[in-house]
Amino acid sequence: MNFVHFIQLILVLAILGAVGVPLFRGLSKIKLFAKLDESGEEYKHLLVRKEEVLLSIKDLEFDRTTNKVSEKDYQTQRKKLEMETVTILERMEELEKDKKKGKKSSKPAKVV
Amino acid sequence: MNDIGEFALLVALATALYGCVSYIMAVRGNRIDLYLSADKTPVIVWVCVVISSAALWKGFITNDFSLQYVWAYSNKELDTFYKLASFWGGQKGSLLFWTLILTTYMCVVYFQNRKKNIRLMPYAMAVMFVIIIFFLCLLNFSTNPFERIPLPPEDGRGLNPLLQNYWMVIHPPTLYLGYVGFTVPFAFAMAALISKNLDDGWIRLTRKWTLLAWFFLCMGNLFGASWAYVELGWGGYWAWDPVENAAFMPLLVATAFLHSIQIQEKKDMMKVWNMSLVLLTFVMTIFGTFITRSGLIQSVHTFDEATLGYYFLAFLGVIIVICTVLIITRLPLLKSKNELDSLLSREASFLINNLLLLGIGFATFWGTIFPIISEAVRGVKITVGPPFYNQVNVPIGLALLALIGIGPVIAWRRATWANLRKNFQVPVIVGLVTAAVLFSIVPLTGRSEIFTYMTFILCAFVMACILREFLNGARARMGLEDGGNFVSELGTLTWRNKRRYGGYVVHIGMVLIFAGIAGSQSYSVHEQKHLKMGESFKLRDYTITYEKLTAVEATSVKTRVIAEVGVFKDSKRVWTGRPEKEFYKGQNQPVSEVDVLSTIVEDIYIILADFNEDESATLKVYLNPMVSWLWTGGWVIAFGTMICMWPDRLEQRRRLDRMKKQEAIFAPAQE
Repeated sequence: MNFVHFIQLILVLAILGAVGVPLFRGLSKIKLFAKLDESGEEYKHLLVRKEEVLLSIKDLEFDRTTNKVSEKDYQTQRKKLEMETVTILERMEELEKDKKKGKKSSKPAKVV
Repeated sequence: MNDIGEFALLVALATALYGCVSYIMAVRGNRIDLYLSADKTPVIVWVCVVISSAALWKGFITNDFSLQYVWAYSNKELDTFYKLASFWGGQKGSLLFWTLILTTYMCVVYFQNRKKNIRLMPYAMAVMFVIIIFFLCLLNFSTNPFERIPLPPEDGRGLNPLLQNYWMVIHPPTLYLGYVGFTVPFAFAMAALISKNLDDGWIRLTRKWTLLAWFFLCMGNLFGASWAYVELGWGGYWAWDPVENAAFMPLLVATAFLHSIQIQEKKDMMKVWNMSLVLLTFVMTIFGTFITRSGLIQSVHTFDEATLGYYFLAFLGVIIVICTVLIITRLPLLKSKNELDSLLSREASFLINNLLLLGIGFATFWGTIFPIISEAVRGVKITVGPPFYNQVNVPIGLALLALIGIGPVIAWRRATWANLRKNFQVPVIVGLVTAAVLFSIVPLTGRSEIFTYMTFILCAFVMACILREFLNGARARMGLEDGGNFVSELGTLTWRNKRRYGGYVVHIGMVLIFAGIAGSQSYSVHEQKHLKMGESFKLRDYTITYEKLTAVEATSVKTRVIAEVGVFKDSKRVWTGRPEKEFYKGQNQPVSEVDVLSTIVEDIYIILADFNEDESATLKVYLNPMVSWLWTGGWVIAFGTMICMWPDRLEQRRRLDRMKKQEAIFAPAQE
């Protein structure tokens, strides 16, 4: 066995060791992730949506200050965005309550 | 070292295969042991590819001509700087370089996300591994960079003299960083489709990656244009060459994507469109590689041994089929719940921008593949030239330029005509004043000059729109209770809205590029003269005098013949140009090295076209207006992108708050 073959052997053994060790640590019974909690996923999505809608309200305020929207449009849009926020918050509250009760939510998400 | 390099490629392939399969099995079987095992593979594959690359670089540095690739692209006299760059000078090395970048990106993605996105990550890594496996298969079984020559020659063939330019060290890596970078958003998009995790999480994860890849591709295109300008000696920087088009098309689609994801983030709509755009961007990068490596289309950029076309075509076909099937099967999940509030809104302007970008993309694609189609249908290869591209793309480009100005001024969701009239008043006046001033200055005889005139007007209009945005934003901030002075509020405004205002800076860069292209394309003049020493000729306001011819032995393989050319304006010497011809030992054709005096107004561009034994010479001189605007535009784009990409602490805090709130109510994803 020459030096090159020796290095190649070391390389292969090191790789086999690195990828093999986790397989023999008796972890096969442990799950990688919990069962997909649909309400949890929906909640996550709603958190993002809530943030986006609030940012949209901020943008709308800025657009009004810089005269990009008329007062009438501002009021209409603001009302719409606030409604959207309320819908999201209500649904989030519902999911939180369900989670606390340990019940699985049955109603699908309804986000405007 | 060569044996180890070659072996490392094989080990990388085996590990990548294992990594891909075990990631999929881990997520399908919900097994942490397999996941932990697979989790070691990205770094192992990267290390193997690094070893392999180091071995090839060592071959170049040590003049190891037993390697066929080193022999073909280097020689003993080659400068070390170019020896390092010769690595990607040919097909085999460039594929290894591509793989090196791809595995490096994969490692960064792995370290960024391994603990964050446990449901998406395994799929994303598996997709990246599939692409890596394709490249490693090519490297191991089709174009091995470690192929040996049984009886090594004394010296190598040397690097093509055209490639012996400092841009060779900058342009290909930048372009590759862009091309390969789009693999990351593609992998996450595919992961989202496969795992049915189709909210905008994958977009948030990859937004900066997309921007980074876009930036590199944009700069790669500009660097390529700059290289062509100084090296190819035809006075231009863009020729609608198929390979230039191949790098341009993904840039267009990615630009469309970067705009339309903002609508998805804001309004949770256009999911199918965005998914299609990101997949199409990646498809276009592979298509570009296919063009360069198939040998089907003639281009100055194609590799000598362009034999890999069918592999890339097959890979392209598989990707397109898989993407299409996945999108179709996931359509119900990709349906948007929201709609556009109004056609008079920023969202609508983004939509039109998308259509225009794709329009230019499609025209460019059609022109690029037309020779293949014409040969297949009529048996004759018909190449489409710049007139086709200019005729189709210039009007669309002008509409796009107008939208760069219009978009930011329109409000999100809904705008009214009254507000638009008010907001566009100043920019329109600026445009009209520009039109009036230019009318008396610029010639308006042909179609091209009319388009140029329109471009300048639109550039002025767009600049006014963008500057107005900065001005109004800063003023609005000054009106706040804690508002400071104008300059500080302008800084705060940009700092707090990095994405928006960084984007506007990028737009300013685009305006400069548009102006540069228009000016240099329409008002360029040139003249070619055969002169005896001391003779002169006039070009516009300049007198060009041929003064001297010198031959210099630069190295044992390179001789430089340098002409000295005096450029005078009103009898005053403005500049002395030194264009040259370089003769390389063993190369039949000499290489022209142009000399350029670049100013904000125009470039004086001199080529030594030929010379005779009696020391007479043929000089070709171009006056190219506004070329420097293009390169300045590139730096402005770089600055704008840096602003956009700068870490946003507010956003990070919001993300952390979201996670905390989620975890306080729902258990973490991992058991």
